[in-house]
Amino acid sequence: MRLRPVVLTTLLAAVTLSACGTEVPPPSQPPRAVLPLPAGVQDPAHPPTPDAGGDDSCDARASLRPRGALPAPGQMPAGSTMAAIVQRGRLRVGVDQNTYLFGYRNAGTGEIEGFDVDMARAVAAAIFGDPNRIQLVAITSAQRIPFLADGTVDLVVDTMTMNCDRWQQVNFSSQYYDARQDVLVPASSPAKTVDDLAGQKVCAADGSTSIQKIAAHPAGLRPVAVLDWTDCLVLLQQGQVAAISTDDTILAGMQAEDPTTRMLGADLGAEPYGMAMSAQADDFTRFVNAVLERLRADGSWTALHEKWHLGGSSTPPPARYRD
Amino acid sequence: MTQLATGQQWARQAWAQLAGAPSAVARQVRDAAQTTPGRLRLYLVLVVVLGSLAGVSAVVGLARRSGSVDDVATRSGPLAVQAQQLYRSLSDADATAAAAFLTSGVEPAQLRERYLDDIAAASAALAASASTGTEQAQVQQLAAGLPVYTGLVETARTLNRLNNPLGAAYLREASTFMREQLLPAAEELYRAATTRLADDRSSAAAFPWLTVALLLAVGWALVVTQLFLARRTQRLLNRGLAVASAATLVLALWVLGSWIAVTVDLHRSDRDGSAQVQAIAQARVLALQARADEALTLVARGSGGQFEQDFQERMAALADAGGALDVASARATDPAVTRALDEAKAAAQTWRAGHTEVREADDGGDYPAAVTIAVTDPTRNSAAFTTVDASLQQAIAVAGAAFTENADDAGSGLTFAAVVWALLAVVAVAGAVLGIQQRLAEYR
Repeated sequence: MRLRPVVLTTLLAAVTLSACGTEVPPPSQPPRAVLPLPAGVQDPAHPPTPDAGGDDSCDARASLRPRGALPAPGQMPAGSTMAAIVQRGRLRVGVDQNTYLFGYRNAGTGEIEGFDVDMARAVAAAIFGDPNRIQLVAITSAQRIPFLADGTVDLVVDTMTMNCDRWQQVNFSSQYYDARQDVLVPASSPAKTVDDLAGQKVCAADGSTSIQKIAAHPAGLRPVAVLDWTDCLVLLQQGQVAAISTDDTILAGMQAEDPTTRMLGADLGAEPYGMAMSAQADDFTRFVNAVLERLRADGSWTALHEKWHLGGSSTPPPARYRD
Repeated sequence: MTQLATGQQWARQAWAQLAGAPSAVARQVRDAAQTTPGRLRLYLVLVVVLGSLAGVSAVVGLARRSGSVDDVATRSGPLAVQAQQLYRSLSDADATAAAAFLTSGVEPAQLRERYLDDIAAASAALAASASTGTEQAQVQQLAAGLPVYTGLVETARTLNRLNNPLGAAYLREASTFMREQLLPAAEELYRAATTRLADDRSSAAAFPWLTVALLLAVGWALVVTQLFLARRTQRLLNRGLAVASAATLVLALWVLGSWIAVTVDLHRSDRDGSAQVQAIAQARVLALQARADEALTLVARGSGGQFEQDFQERMAALADAGGALDVASARATDPAVTRALDEAKAAAQTWRAGHTEVREADDGGDYPAAVTIAVTDPTRNSAAFTTVDASLQQAIAVAGAAFTENADDAGSGLTFAAVVWALLAVVAVAGAVLGIQQRLAEYR
């Protein structure tokens, strides 16, 4: 009696199986890992394309000429932008905390430091006579122009490329660094040129000139935008993008963070860096340019270049003025 | 072959009989009702059938109710508790990791310990949720995601120790993963668990309509039979039927009483237990989120306007008049819960004042002072937040105990009742059979 259900079940199973021939139902899919993503990833990204010929509409490297000697620290001309900063008691500067060697958070001390931060401190020192009268505001690439426009910061020193598009919205100082856009891939990547990356994901920060160049590149790259530069390196390490493309300076910092990467040495165009300030603050622009003249002349620039092991030319880019 | 033929024959006969049955049966019943013994036999059948059905219905209904009460006490109730615990542990891990990031160098031992405890508690709650066998989709999603999260946090920690700024990016990714994947899954699990708890509770407290209707019918049949007998025999009392009536009455009262008792206990388990736990848990989640926002505002370092706005909204929802803490207080029925909530309220105000100082320091350019007040100084905001969290934990423990106690009460005695109800039904049927048979014998 006990055997009957078993026999029946077996028979039933045999009938069912023979009915569908030798086909065995496929095993259910094994669960797949959920890949984490940094906040605010855009994949694919749709960066605005700069106006055709917009890049040549002006001399993006040329700024406003300094007038006379620098005033003594703390003795700013009455009514000037600098006087208002002295009144407030500190210089507010938008910097990056995610770009190694330029502006990054030192995990050991919790301080934001780097070449850009030291540049900003030099401006604070010229205003107050004290490089520490400064409030560092950590910003993303996309926040640079809005934060200047609404007065959240007085100055942005954040690996910011000078171009004519941006000159419409902000003032730039004279050029303080000369970078070129390059591509970073894992050391194991077979890619030798940018064209080898056709159809693959290439990462850059949202609101940067780099993401626009990736989107516009004739090889047909797939742009992925993130909030902060280090997010790109996280994605590269997790195998979620094939490459990162931005200024060689930023990429060199990433290479220092992760030695299992290499640069392609592709030259995707010049990226002159300038400090940015409000478009209304011509007096402050001239003041900052005077500070930069001094840094170039007295060897401070070269000393900082060496301090941060930036590589490349150890002579500062020459200043150009439009007036 | 012969056997088969006989079987077919029999079936054909039975079919023929059945086909003509309705009119034949009706006729027989009509004929029988004309005579006293016929009438008595009819009553006998009626009482036996209705009595048996009522007994079966009472016992089956009780078994079902007992099952639902058991679900409340041992499945959906604990699942809701575990899901709450899970959500809490995960968001505390997120807040703790963010706070640890703000401290320079190697993170303080107590923050590391807190984070590890959170992960341990989350894993335990997840395992307990899995063992209830419900909401498997969310449980699996969380089980698959938790190791990914901890992996990201450990990567961040290692990079931080190497003074590699990439650590911060891994931590941000971990936090995003937690906020966008794991916490929503945990929240869904919690919501599903509370819905299931409410469903189990309402099915456990359902009114036993069928049993009550059948018992009323049995009572009616017994009364009619006794009135008929009293008229026909001039004897007022038939012992068998009297016993049957008494048994039916006791059974009916007991069924009603049991329903009332279970309903009251379950209502208490909700009012004194799970409803309060829910209100307090909501306050706790707000506190945890506000804490993470406070830390993230500082992590963002000046560009954290969104986090600051979130903090203000959550703090208002938590500590304003009529906020989550007040709602929980209004529901509190145990003085111990009220006391714990009062402590939490006081600490929340301290924290709020401390946060104003944090913002003043940060906005005034003194970032290190802001970090000190918010995280590093163990007597400032860290202490206030810890007090809020611990007081709410205490309140949840008390309310949770009230839930368990009342849910257990609701289930107690149901097994005993089932045995006695079955006996009462047998007594009622047997009494009626004996009582009526006795009279029928007189007509032979």
